[in-house]
Amino acid sequence: MSDDSLEKLKNGLLELEIDISVNAAEKIAATGDPQVVKNAVDTFTSALQTVGKRFQDGEWFLAELVYAGEISKEVMNVLSPLMEAGAMEAAGTIAVGTVAGDLHDLGKNIFVSYAKSAGFSVVDLGIDVSTQKFIDAAKEHNPVALGMSCLLTSTDMEIGKVIEELKRQNLRDKVKVIIGGAALTQRFADSVGADAFAADAITGTDIIKKWSSP
Amino acid sequence: MDFKERILTTLNHEEPDQVPVAGFILSQVTSNKILGKPPADIVAMLGNAELRSGLKDIMNATWPEIINSTLADWFEAAIKLGCDANWTIYSQMQVVEEPKFKHGLAMHDVWGRAWELTVDENGNTDANYIRGLCTTEKEWYSWVERNKPLYDELIKNVRDHHKKMAENYGDTILAIGSLGTGVFDNTWQPMGFENFCKFVYQKPEFIKKVIEFQTDLLLRHLNAIMESGVEVVVGGDDFGHKTGPLMRPEQIEKLFGDSYRRISEAVHSQKKKLLWHTDGNVYALLEKFVEWGFDGVVSLEPTAGMELGKVREQVGHKLVLVGNLDISYILVRGTKEEVEDTVRKAIKDAAKGGGYILSPCNSHSAIDPTRLEWMIESAHQYGRYPIAV
Repeated sequence: MSDDSLEKLKNGLLELEIDISVNAAEKIAATGDPQVVKNAVDTFTSALQTVGKRFQDGEWFLAELVYAGEISKEVMNVLSPLMEAGAMEAAGTIAVGTVAGDLHDLGKNIFVSYAKSAGFSVVDLGIDVSTQKFIDAAKEHNPVALGMSCLLTSTDMEIGKVIEELKRQNLRDKVKVIIGGAALTQRFADSVGADAFAADAITGTDIIKKWSSP
Repeated sequence: MDFKERILTTLNHEEPDQVPVAGFILSQVTSNKILGKPPADIVAMLGNAELRSGLKDIMNATWPEIINSTLADWFEAAIKLGCDANWTIYSQMQVVEEPKFKHGLAMHDVWGRAWELTVDENGNTDANYIRGLCTTEKEWYSWVERNKPLYDELIKNVRDHHKKMAENYGDTILAIGSLGTGVFDNTWQPMGFENFCKFVYQKPEFIKKVIEFQTDLLLRHLNAIMESGVEVVVGGDDFGHKTGPLMRPEQIEKLFGDSYRRISEAVHSQKKKLLWHTDGNVYALLEKFVEWGFDGVVSLEPTAGMELGKVREQVGHKLVLVGNLDISYILVRGTKEEVEDTVRKAIKDAAKGGGYILSPCNSHSAIDPTRLEWMIESAHQYGRYPIAV
């Protein structure tokens, strides 16, 4: 396999040309060599970080970020089955969901996609997630972070309930809580005692990276 | 000045007697609280399959009456608070059974969105957009074909609804005729944002067809509203999210620019004014709004970083500014002093020279009527022209 395929894999993403990236991924997969595949995944992950930076710097917009996420899914569908077990060590686990009473998932889904590409193992709890389900996830998966998403102001107090329950069950100091969504602000995060508020998926992923670093 | 003169003077960027206030009351929960009305007692019916099915049939058979009655409450509430204006809105929905939703009922609008019927702890009903119903090209074409008769029904009901609102309330409050969602939202929401992004890159001709269809339908909708005699029309697309526009402004221009220019021309050809509502951070689109011919921008969501002073600095008096009162904290849990400070700052930053209508930046069921009363009291206290705050 030539370096040309690695360049195409990366450039297809950065130019939002899905066919170029997927064709390159297929060529790389055809080598059947786990080391070659691992190098390709590393290159692709690095390109995804460039995507995140472009978004944070205002060079790229949400639609481009979302489509880059779609390209990432397609590429990883080709490459992941060929990676040796344990070749990608997870940066840690994140459990994330949309709070009870709220069925919106666009922001959460973008976050899940980017957190995964940043190397996290993500437990997606879905939408309309009860306090109990968040608590169970904190116990079962021992996550670096528990993420709660909320679009509606009418449901934002669900976040406070989960945090109170974490305290009541002596779990609060074992897991960091990060929140995001249209209804939320830093002021709200402070008022309910969350560890962080993230205005977008990339910022959220960056914050959790810092928490998971030794 | 009466409410009408006050608003129209403001829309011409001239100073009226006082800063006008628009209610933005689009929630049955809020209007029930303001009017002291008990919610419709349907919780028990929702819990019983047979009664739920009967309720669905009744709602479908009487949908225009339900909307007219709901809107009457919203207007009565806005009048009781002392607002100068409130939005009218008519949305054509079909109530269907949806076992996955908590109360078993969903509403499908004619554009292809599913809304969940929700009930709060006091029994008040509300509806929230949840997902699109046309996630593939085939599904979208099939949806449009299947719903053809409903588009004509929509236009007829929009015309009747707005006429009724103008007849019943025209002497008391300014009815701003609302299109509800606009071409951008009506294009992406029925397919979902992730699919929309994919189709923009992978099926551009399909997206172009959807936009053409939605633009033509919206222009019919717009004409039906304007026939009622309203002086001001508001459209709505959520172009922004927390930190910026959903799409690159050049891409929005390429896909949707001509649609918005056609809409503006249609409104201005009848000597009426066009406002456009958008949530989110939209600094990067303000010049586009001017270019497309919008007379004003509604919402200016503070939790997405929109500040009236900055907006005014960026576009001067090329746009009327409407909204900016925070609904995440100030109008939900804020103290009287915080509400007063927020209103005073909004007036200081935006009202000089006219061109500012004070209003909550959006509507939802957790907004507290007492905070709305404080908002209006403060507007009357600090909003007298010449502005001296």
